[in-house]
Amino acid sequence: MATYTYTSRPRALPCQRRRYRDSLLQPEEEPVRYGNIMYDRRVIRGNTYALQTGLLPGQPDPVELQRKQQAKKKALAKKRAQEQLKPRTPEPVEGRKHVDVQTELYLEEIADRVIEVDMECQTDAFLDRPPTPLFIPARTNKDVATEILEGELFDFDLEVKPMLEVLVGKTIEQSLLEVMEEEELANLQASQCAYEEMRNVELAEVQRLEEQKRRHEEEKERRKRQQWEIVHKQNETSQKIAACAFAQRYLADLLPSVFSSLRDSGYFYDPIKRDIELGFLPWLMNEVEKTIDYSLVGRTVLDMLIREVVEKRLNSYERKEGSPPSKWEEELEIPERKRDSTINYLTQEPSTLQAQKRLSDTEYLRAPSIDRGPPTQERKPVEEEFQGPDDDAEMRRSLDTEDPTGASEL
Amino acid sequence: MDATSAPHRIPAEMPQYGEANNIFDLMQSMLEQLLIHQPEDPIPFMIEHLHRDNDHVPKIIILGPPASGKTTIAMWLCKHLNTNLLTKGSLIRKESSSLATEAQKLYQRFKKVPDMLLIQLVQERLSEVELRQEGEGWILDGIPETREQGLMMQTLGLAPKHVIILNAPDSVLIERNLGKRIDPVTREIYHTTFDWPQESEVQNRLVQPEGISEMETAQKLLEYHRSIIRVLPAYSKVLKAISADQPCVDVFYQALTHVQTSHRSNAPFTPRVVLFGPMGSGKRLQAALLAQKYGLVHVCFGQLLKETVQGQSRLGELIQSFFEKEMPVPDNIVMKVLKQRLSQPDCLQRGWVLHGFPRDLDQAQMLASMGYSPNRVFFLNVPLDSILERLTLRRVDPVTGERYHLMYKPPPTLEIQARLLQNPKDSEEWVKLKTDLFYRNSVELEQFYKQAITLNGDQDPYTVFEYLESGIINPLPKKVL
Repeated sequence: MATYTYTSRPRALPCQRRRYRDSLLQPEEEPVRYGNIMYDRRVIRGNTYALQTGLLPGQPDPVELQRKQQAKKKALAKKRAQEQLKPRTPEPVEGRKHVDVQTELYLEEIADRVIEVDMECQTDAFLDRPPTPLFIPARTNKDVATEILEGELFDFDLEVKPMLEVLVGKTIEQSLLEVMEEEELANLQASQCAYEEMRNVELAEVQRLEEQKRRHEEEKERRKRQQWEIVHKQNETSQKIAACAFAQRYLADLLPSVFSSLRDSGYFYDPIKRDIELGFLPWLMNEVEKTIDYSLVGRTVLDMLIREVVEKRLNSYERKEGSPPSKWEEELEIPERKRDSTINYLTQEPSTLQAQKRLSDTEYLRAPSIDRGPPTQERKPVEEEFQGPDDDAEMRRSLDTEDPTGASEL
Repeated sequence: MDATSAPHRIPAEMPQYGEANNIFDLMQSMLEQLLIHQPEDPIPFMIEHLHRDNDHVPKIIILGPPASGKTTIAMWLCKHLNTNLLTKGSLIRKESSSLATEAQKLYQRFKKVPDMLLIQLVQERLSEVELRQEGEGWILDGIPETREQGLMMQTLGLAPKHVIILNAPDSVLIERNLGKRIDPVTREIYHTTFDWPQESEVQNRLVQPEGISEMETAQKLLEYHRSIIRVLPAYSKVLKAISADQPCVDVFYQALTHVQTSHRSNAPFTPRVVLFGPMGSGKRLQAALLAQKYGLVHVCFGQLLKETVQGQSRLGELIQSFFEKEMPVPDNIVMKVLKQRLSQPDCLQRGWVLHGFPRDLDQAQMLASMGYSPNRVFFLNVPLDSILERLTLRRVDPVTGERYHLMYKPPPTLEIQARLLQNPKDSEEWVKLKTDLFYRNSVELEQFYKQAITLNGDQDPYTVFEYLESGIINPLPKKVL
């Protein structure tokens, strides 16, 4: 007869009854499952008088049933496949058998019968939930004791010797090794130091040599530059000297040329000439003019005198013309000539005076009609003669003006 | 003997630099100004003078009788050369000068400005011009009128570079003066016959100036003739007389050419002459004459190459190889030979005359780059017929070695004539070939040497020589466009 067995792992029962005071932290209430009535499958929609082809929601759908069965089969098959794949302990070797062994901290006796004991208890009302006691399963073992007397098991001193030897030996070996290691380390360190020293020394040497080389280079550079500067300076100096010599030669003729050009342009003049031109000649001209003026004045005065004399004579002759004319005719011839000469003198007058006066005098001369004939002829040459000196005077004046130019050009 | 007085090798660039920048003339004018002004601080004065740099500005005086066209010519020259014009009227009318107001008062009273005042005005204006603008120069119109004014100007140191005097017979001048009209606004002078303005409004406002009747003109002419004869001797060296009886344009151009020629300067000058011309144009003869007269070194290029060959140096052997192949010698060898010759001290000191080189533009550029640019270049033009005549009739007598020319120096006897030989290089085809070659290159060469002087080589040698001489001695004309 199959007995009903039910095994379940211990779990907290979903009991709604609360045993303890509400814990301070209230667990969250599970969200109330509510659905939208519109989408609830239990609510029939549409006309209710139509054929109900569909199944009631409580009864499973045969299609769905089939599907579920197939799904279950699949799941089972899957599970079986997985179980096969699951790593299991290998089958035991021939002649052996696997035995299950408990490996927990506290061994538990496994018996066919499950020991059930009913217990009741009552808790104090609204107590704090006590801390969960440690789960220490009950002891299912027996204590066993034994006694060993001295000398029964083994002899300590004998037994301990090899062990001690080994122990001590090992220790000493270990320590030796350690010491050796240390020494080796120290040696390495020392050699490293020595090497470092040498390296330093060599480095210093290298630096020194490099320094030296650099100094040499610098020195060389400096000497080269110095030399170049010297050469350059020499070149420049020679160029400057050449330029100086060239300039001297080129401009050797400069001063004479400057002076001659200034003389040509008239800036340098002979002061004596200039003085003569500007000082002496105007004075000379002035004096000449004065002299000419004097002579002119003299001549004018003379003309005036003659005129007066002739007037007087004319008056006296006119008065005497009233007396017997016969005597006069003899005397006329002589005084005619004289009169001619006086009339000649008269004619001299107008030409020495200005042109306006000339006109009035000729009018005056026309009065004595007798003498118009010859004296007119004689007048002209005399006039011409006198214009001659006049022209001479003019020419002399212009010559005077030109003379200073002649003098200055000397 | 210390280093400063030892004979030095003066590098050739120095004389060239001196020539190119007219250093002698510069120093001369600076020294002249120093002597004239005699400042207390000579060095700042000299520095200022050099900064101003107006040695080449025009300084012109135009003299002439009334109605000769002085003012017209002066104004045209002024516009052309972009310079200042000073007339008596403009000087008196100047506003910002006490001297000018004084002069104006005197002029209004006596119709005459005293000489001293006028010259002081001139000096004031000229010093203003000098200080204000560089490179302007001045033109004086009708000043100085009398010898006194001229002398005063000379004492102050205002010396002109060119003096132009316009001459014309009196009758012409009197007639011309009757037609003179002045525009009162612009003060320009017009003439009823010769120079009538285009615009009618100008025509309408023209006025007759006072003092143009015959009697007054005659009077003025008399006074002018009296005074000008004394002014002219002071400027004899820079004077040029132009007849004013010709059309204005002719007068103007004559004046312009005179103004643009500079006078012979006293600067030391080593001539470096290059003669160009087709073969047979007489280059060798002219070069020999020049070398003989002026002591220049005669560098005949063909001969130079032959001399190098004879010298039997490495270069000579190279050239010999080219001679044998009858190929023209390449440029770099030619340059070496030439450089060797031209850098010798006798060439550097005495100057040289070169012919036969350069032959084309590349050689000319190489010559310039070597540093031996010529300072006088002459092109001798001879027509082809003359060349043929000169060259193809040359003959040589093989027995005596005498050279004859069938036209210019015929052989004395028929016997000699019978045996005369002609150089194959004197044959017509060869001559024509060479002349073609020359004319092909001459266009570029003429463009390269802008200062070249072209001469007619078809005349007798001494005439050509005289032209050459004048070209070398006179300073190169400045071309003002």
